[in-house]
Amino acid sequence: MKNNIRVERAIKNMTQAELAEKVKVSRQTINSIESNKYIPSTVLALKIAKVFGKPLEEIFMLESKDMK
Amino acid sequence: MGSKYLFPYKSRFVGIGLILLHIPIRAIWEYLYPGLGEHHLPVKPGDSVLFTNQHLFSITSAILMLVGLFLIAFSKEKIEDEQIAQLRLDSLRWSIYLNYLILLLSLIFTNGIDFIDILRLNLWVPLLFFIIRFRWVLFRLNRSLTEEKN
Repeated sequence: MKNNIRVERAIKNMTQAELAEKVKVSRQTINSIESNKYIPSTVLALKIAKVFGKPLEEIFMLESKDMK
Repeated sequence: MGSKYLFPYKSRFVGIGLILLHIPIRAIWEYLYPGLGEHHLPVKPGDSVLFTNQHLFSITSAILMLVGLFLIAFSKEKIEDEQIAQLRLDSLRWSIYLNYLILLLSLIFTNGIDFIDILRLNLWVPLLFFIIRFRWVLFRLNRSLTEEKN
């Protein structure tokens, strides 16, 4: 799974720390998600999408290797 | 692992305190009964008296150490989130693997008496290895964060 949290953050001019505080996780977790090292739970993914005011699919996308 | 079954963040420092406290108790015990350190469990026939001075010293130091390790291992992080929970579970799995590997090897390569030492080792190995592994992944996580910033 990939995501464009980094892009969305840049649009909203938001730091990793600010996003982390809004969704109540550590900055490390936001960083891990952005660098595709950690896949968030559905709840966390929905919370992040809500912060950006966009549907989930516009922020998180499946990759072809996820379908194997 | 739900975070509601974890100790509060500050209990980690209580744990470190207990382990430090166990050192002088251990030292006093070694001073009073030199050479008994290896075989303080009443395993010999006719030597099964509980709550003698030696026994009390040994259980006190062991309990302090165990409770200390337990508090360090299972206290919450400052910011407890789902990634931390996953890393904790992961580390726990590795420590169980290692523990059973040691138990299995000791089953094969030891006999009766030595196995008691292995059982005693079994008291520390899962907790200690868990703490080391968990701290190590957290350290790596923080390092990746600072590398990102630069």
